[in-house]
Amino acid sequence: MSDPSGPARAQGYIEGVTSTALLELSAVAKTFADKMVLAPTDLSIAEGSFVAIVGPSGCGKSTLFNIIAGLLAPDAGEVRLEGRDVVGATGHVGYMLQKDLLVPWRSVEDNITMAARLTRKVTSADRAEARQIAQKYGLGEFLDHYPQALSGGMRQRVAFMRTLVTHQALLLLDEPFGALDAQTRLEMQRWLLDVWRESGRTVLFITHDVDESIFLSDRVLVMSPRPGRVVADLANPLARPRDLDVLTDPDFVALKSQIMHLLHGGER
Amino acid sequence: MTRAGSVASKKYRQALTALVLPLTSFAILLLLWQMVIVVFHVQGYIAPRPLDAIRAIPDNWSVMSPLVVQIVKETVFGFLLGAAIGIFFGVIMSKIPVVQKLLYPTLVLSQAVPVIVIAFPLALIFGFGSVKPILAIVVWIVFFPVTVNVIDGLGHVDKDLLNLAKVYGASRWRAFVQIEIPATVSPLFSGLKIGATYAITGAFIGELASPEQVGNTGTSLAVYAEKASANLNVPLVYGLTMLMAVIGVAWFLTMVGLEVLATPWLRRSTVRHWRRRGRDIATSQGDH
Repeated sequence: MSDPSGPARAQGYIEGVTSTALLELSAVAKTFADKMVLAPTDLSIAEGSFVAIVGPSGCGKSTLFNIIAGLLAPDAGEVRLEGRDVVGATGHVGYMLQKDLLVPWRSVEDNITMAARLTRKVTSADRAEARQIAQKYGLGEFLDHYPQALSGGMRQRVAFMRTLVTHQALLLLDEPFGALDAQTRLEMQRWLLDVWRESGRTVLFITHDVDESIFLSDRVLVMSPRPGRVVADLANPLARPRDLDVLTDPDFVALKSQIMHLLHGGER
Repeated sequence: MTRAGSVASKKYRQALTALVLPLTSFAILLLLWQMVIVVFHVQGYIAPRPLDAIRAIPDNWSVMSPLVVQIVKETVFGFLLGAAIGIFFGVIMSKIPVVQKLLYPTLVLSQAVPVIVIAFPLALIFGFGSVKPILAIVVWIVFFPVTVNVIDGLGHVDKDLLNLAKVYGASRWRAFVQIEIPATVSPLFSGLKIGATYAITGAFIGELASPEQVGNTGTSLAVYAEKASANLNVPLVYGLTMLMAVIGVAWFLTMVGLEVLATPWLRRSTVRHWRRRGRDIATSQGDH
């Protein structure tokens, strides 16, 4: 499944469908202070797919994200988005963290239009879109609220709307639901699947939660630390649309057991 | 909304407490003062009764009023100048680390010198008898807490938020205006409030160090207080002390009021009505 001596190969395939790759990484590596946090990694993400990345802390998944987003320059390798070289550049992905990072001094509406405000003048079309998306996803009556008046789940929803209206084809979501309680998290996962299906975006989704990675994704990348690398690239056979009953599907359980072994049991 | 209702009544109670408790403590202070004088038979040439001290102000108001106006002006203008300089230094120092390393120790040193001592060279530098040394001393006192708090505030802006702005493709300038400045409003006001309380002290010391500057009267409130003390006009000396305190507190409260206006999100759950954009107009514009 993996070859620890060489770069981990992660091919983009979904159930025999050949899609064009939206994102392509080749031999991307990063070392901090003599510690290799990301071993040379190849990765190809098909357009419109939902790819989950699971792994323990220190496995380089956030480093990988920061390289794709342009916050970090890799020591070596190439990052191509829609064929363009984006190493060291920013402004080409949607990006969301566990922390909602809503600014407390702006209303929900103004938080949703934040990306526009940070790069140009906010237009009435931007505001209209923000209101429309908030209404569509049940936050229409909170447009004038400050973020701290909202619950954690609502805030994450606003943060995701802010990510969506950037109109970037690739969304990087780094444990977006990690701080939510189990109930709210499940609600948010189902909501995310709905939004993803409608929006047609490509999602790279980091999580600690194996169930979450399977429930959401077309494909699960398992990473391991020291040095951080992709050790397995698993296709997710579960049909869509999915609902809670997939959580007990034999395919789900088999995939879960396989990932658990990779994460905790080594490769015996 | 019941929650809004209970929030409103809670806010009302909080405001009441915020007003009543300090007033009670002032009243107790005056009462203690009165008691000490009565119980220990304090002589009138050491300390007056509080009411006599208060009464000395209206009794001498016709002579004092231009001097009071003058010192309030010095306090306010010196404060505004000091705040502007403080913000400038704070921003420059936090944006350019070399400048911060270069200037910070010197700025701390400037504050280690007692104001009353530095007042005399400042008077010589800026012209003895002019208003400039007075403003310079107020600036000297006010800029420092402002600079320190601005540096602190800018240094504590959430790094993840700044990274997010970067990922979105924000320029440094936009990130500064849209994120760093609003995130520093609260710390800035902490500095302004400290500066506001001390500004009157600076003006008073300045008037002592650089007297004979007020137009036709040829005197200042500090000199007037000095004379009252020399003449053993004890109620007036105490009255002036209280007046200084009132001016200091009033200026502090002005800052508190401005802070409340500048940070509505700390007290409200929704944006103020006038900040909500006309929904219908904006929607119809956005729809075509």
